[in-house]
Amino acid sequence: MSGLDPIELQVMLGALRSACDEMGAVLVRSAHSANIKERRDASTALFDARGRMAMQAEHIPVHLGAMPSSVEAVLGADHSPGDAWVLNDPFAGGTHLPDITVVSPVFARGEALLLGFAASRAHHADVGAPEPGSMPADSRTLEDEGVVISPTRLARGGELDRELLDDLTARMRNPGQREADLRAQLAANRSGAERLMALADRHGSDTLSQAMDETLDYAERRTRARIAEMDDGTRRAADVLEAREGDLALELKATVRGEEIELDFTGSADQHEGNLNCPLAVTLSACYFALRVLTDPDVPPCAGAYRPLTVIAPEGSLLNARSPAAVAAGNVETSSRVADLVLAAFGQALGQGTMNNFTLGNEHFTYYETLGGGQGACPDSDGPDAVHVAMSNTLNTPIEALELEFPLRAVEYSIRRGSGGAGAHRGGEGVVRELEALAPMRYSLITERRRHAPPGAAGGEPGARGANLVDGEEQPSKASGHLEPGSRLRIETPGGGGYGEP
Amino acid sequence: MILGVDVGGTFTDAVLLTGEGVVTGKAPSTPRDQSEGVMAAIDEVLARAGAEHRDVERLVHGMTVGTNALLEGNTARTALVATEGFTDLEELGRQARPELYRLCAGRPAPVVGRDDRVAAPERCGPEGVLRPLDEDAMRERLDALDDDVEAVAVCLLWGFRHPDHERRVAELVAEARPDAHVSTSHATAAVFREYERLATTTVDAAVSPLLRRYLRHLTERTGEAGLPEPEIMLSSGGVADAATAAAHGSWTVLSGPAGGAVAAARAARRAGAEGAVGLDMGGTSCDVSLVLDGRVAVTGGREVGGRSLALPMIDVHTVGAGGGSVAWRDTGGALRAGPHSAGADPGPACYGRGGDRPTITDANLLLGYLDADAPLAGGVELDRDAAERVVGELGGELGLAPEDTAAGIVRVAATQMAQAARVVTVERGIDPRELALVSFGGAGGLHAAAIADELGMQTVVAPVASGVLSALGLALSERRRDLVESVLLGGGDLTAEAIAETVERLAGRGRDELGDAEAEVRATYELRYAGQAFELPIEAGPRAAPGELREAFDAAHEERYGYRDPDAALELVTVRVAVALPGSEVEAANKETAQRRAGRRARFGDEWLDTEVLGPGRAEIEGPAIWELPGSTLVVPPGWSAVCDGDAVVMRR
Repeated sequence: MSGLDPIELQVMLGALRSACDEMGAVLVRSAHSANIKERRDASTALFDARGRMAMQAEHIPVHLGAMPSSVEAVLGADHSPGDAWVLNDPFAGGTHLPDITVVSPVFARGEALLLGFAASRAHHADVGAPEPGSMPADSRTLEDEGVVISPTRLARGGELDRELLDDLTARMRNPGQREADLRAQLAANRSGAERLMALADRHGSDTLSQAMDETLDYAERRTRARIAEMDDGTRRAADVLEAREGDLALELKATVRGEEIELDFTGSADQHEGNLNCPLAVTLSACYFALRVLTDPDVPPCAGAYRPLTVIAPEGSLLNARSPAAVAAGNVETSSRVADLVLAAFGQALGQGTMNNFTLGNEHFTYYETLGGGQGACPDSDGPDAVHVAMSNTLNTPIEALELEFPLRAVEYSIRRGSGGAGAHRGGEGVVRELEALAPMRYSLITERRRHAPPGAAGGEPGARGANLVDGEEQPSKASGHLEPGSRLRIETPGGGGYGEP
Repeated sequence: MILGVDVGGTFTDAVLLTGEGVVTGKAPSTPRDQSEGVMAAIDEVLARAGAEHRDVERLVHGMTVGTNALLEGNTARTALVATEGFTDLEELGRQARPELYRLCAGRPAPVVGRDDRVAAPERCGPEGVLRPLDEDAMRERLDALDDDVEAVAVCLLWGFRHPDHERRVAELVAEARPDAHVSTSHATAAVFREYERLATTTVDAAVSPLLRRYLRHLTERTGEAGLPEPEIMLSSGGVADAATAAAHGSWTVLSGPAGGAVAAARAARRAGAEGAVGLDMGGTSCDVSLVLDGRVAVTGGREVGGRSLALPMIDVHTVGAGGGSVAWRDTGGALRAGPHSAGADPGPACYGRGGDRPTITDANLLLGYLDADAPLAGGVELDRDAAERVVGELGGELGLAPEDTAAGIVRVAATQMAQAARVVTVERGIDPRELALVSFGGAGGLHAAAIADELGMQTVVAPVASGVLSALGLALSERRRDLVESVLLGGGDLTAEAIAETVERLAGRGRDELGDAEAEVRATYELRYAGQAFELPIEAGPRAAPGELREAFDAAHEERYGYRDPDAALELVTVRVAVALPGSEVEAANKETAQRRAGRRARFGDEWLDTEVLGPGRAEIEGPAIWELPGSTLVVPPGWSAVCDGDAVVMRR
């Protein structure tokens, strides 16, 4: 170790962490949409001047690997104090279109010295796809999924580009809410920038820069220490995704060598005509998530933590798709399966393996929801019931909030009894959520584990498959259509796999 | 005379306001029956004051019966009646897992088991009844309740707005189970959003029978002794009679820390600070609270022990940094302090009771802040060699000298507490630099200056009664009722008349309960722009006009979030009303001049300095100095000056 002593190191780690938390608090509290405020589908992060992520306040893991690629996308541009960039292009720093990222360069007070970047990412309720909510079940190219924003300067010298903002939001539903949410992201970045500047004022910009370097080294050491405790060798896992046209195979060869892990997805299906494709950033997020689960969950989420990890995903495959592939479901569903593959390779029972995305809406409203289900059982305890299991951890929309705001009535919201896989430890149980339409509307479902159940481990039974029903009729994993007033959509989410012989 | 009695983890403290001054007493806490320790502490303080039980006009009590039951899961067997189709809401929660990467870390088990959930055949929507309550079917289902059920929670969808079904169900429960305690959601926490309301109602039902038993027992004992009936400190910082507390056990879960926060607010006011951060640092943890406009900041809801409680509660944030917190080196080579604690037993290594890991207290001893030659409260003798040995071992792992390690432990602990203070200030849009820091608890004063420095604060207030501040807060507390109702008024419905009607109705209830028609009424309006899902609280008069609320809300929104939205419609979600009668005032506890004690060497920054040491009492001094108060120690570093008026030390730089 060099430079900072163990005391300074801990002090700066705490300062960076609390700066990111404060950014998150500003974002969640000042946004307008339920998606960000109620469900917390948002993350904030600070980066050093070289664009390496120094700390992140991730509310949901799918943003883990995605934020660095956003900053990378604008790193080479000309930056001035008060600038801010906006983007959502999955092939230039984004993941899927509803996740809009705002990146602000941060300069030392009154100087031309770049200290780093503040970034915030939020899932916007609509980005102008033909399907309300912009999570279409059947998109075939990126254009079907909404407005694509390549990295663009949203503010220059502290002045918002009004024309750009109006142009972007006008192409989306509920432009006022979009603008408010983007302003909340800018406010979050301002708060992060202010903290970085204050740290530079107090400790000097050299010390700040050194502290960010050492944060990365520190996280790397902690991750390496845990990987070193794992048995060397190669493990394999295979699973499928439920595309409309049939199952798509995914394969993993995971190798532990000393203090390092390699995850090789060679052999997985090619990118397809549907929207289960992932940009590489999403695949990385899922691998980072699994690494944290398997090693030390308390390592600071920063670029250093992932240095001992190598991910191989061939270009043109489902897990490293080329433009202009449709990607709406890649971020939410394929990412869950990638995490599953890694966990399965290391002998874990799997959770529900889907976010059960559904969107209801018409020209007057959009309601997007994801549902929890069963967690896979652990070697020493039952899997928790009715929770988000992997890449998401958003809150639900309260029944009273949705009945107040939308032409919907809830019929049932309950635990799906008996859906957890049996085992020495039982898998977690799924959820039932049934809604009745009070006005004509469209529905769109992006779900998984409707054809293949989440497997158990070490002799544990699989959890129950999920089910989507419209007026009692079973629908496929990916589906969309109309609901008339009085029609009911019922979603039964999968249970988790059990662990050990029952 | 007014008596405050606070039950803590180790000791039960009593403070008596005699009219001429403050007398304190202490007795060991008695967890199995807290009333034993309470009566012992009362006897002790009365004996010291030479007073009789019958001299006491008012007895205010803070206790941990509700909290302990909740945290330990020893609650009454409770049934839930919820709208058909929605009986699992408590278990569903908000579907988020508590820890992102520890996949099997579950939430605490639901208060109500699956077999004790009863479906109510009814349904209300936002506009009113959609399906009338089927009373016959309801009776049948209630008859099937298990005999062991002691309490019943009733929470129906939209019950906060349309409470008739809940009222009727409660009547049917009372017919079916006359002995059971019943909590309804509209009377417990009439707030929008079903999960938080239901979780609160189930907790209320589950802890109320325990509160009722305890308070009945305590009231018998105080009655026999000739004391007045105890009043109970609520989580909100208000005080209610014993019957109200027994009917709504959930209102008391932060009864303990609330007393300290109330006293911190008073200490800040006396020192001329309207805004302050309260820092209560004890042996295992540190509670950080907020004082705004001279009063303890209250939040509308938070989690306690992993359970959501949608109730007015003091806005207190807890971090695992106390005197007994263990310092260690993590696998990345950083120095950490806590959250693991050596507790009271074995305690820090310097207690000489077998503790073999370095703690924050050990570090404070090595730096000269604690007196190695004087016993701590409770008569613990300090062993400096033991502290030096364990801190030295850690220093060896870190590559640091023992003294540098001790300084590092104290520094790391201070930054952690400073971050907790940032959570209650910066994350709520408040600039801590404009606030004072009120430190109390045994260890608060040791770290106050370092924390103030970290946050850019200019003033530290350390009450002389730091060691028993919670009990003092009880004795000084105002009598108060807190009432709440979610109204969801927007557009044309948001009129001055509708606002006044709601406030009047709630205020009338509060004044009736206090038995005083003249009690002060304070109203808080939780507002949002239509479409937002979180509200900002705005304090305004009981007859606030919509335009006035609009202006105040726009300004508050801009201050906190950096923008206002004049085009957005305004919605009034919840009205909170506090009805209060003022508490007592008290004169300075100690009019004597502070005694100068033998000085010692203490470390500040990288230097060891000759440091003056004072006892309690009036004085004015420049740092470096150490002020030894009863049960607590205040460190005055170089660059700070401190003055004591006998009631509190006020330290400025």
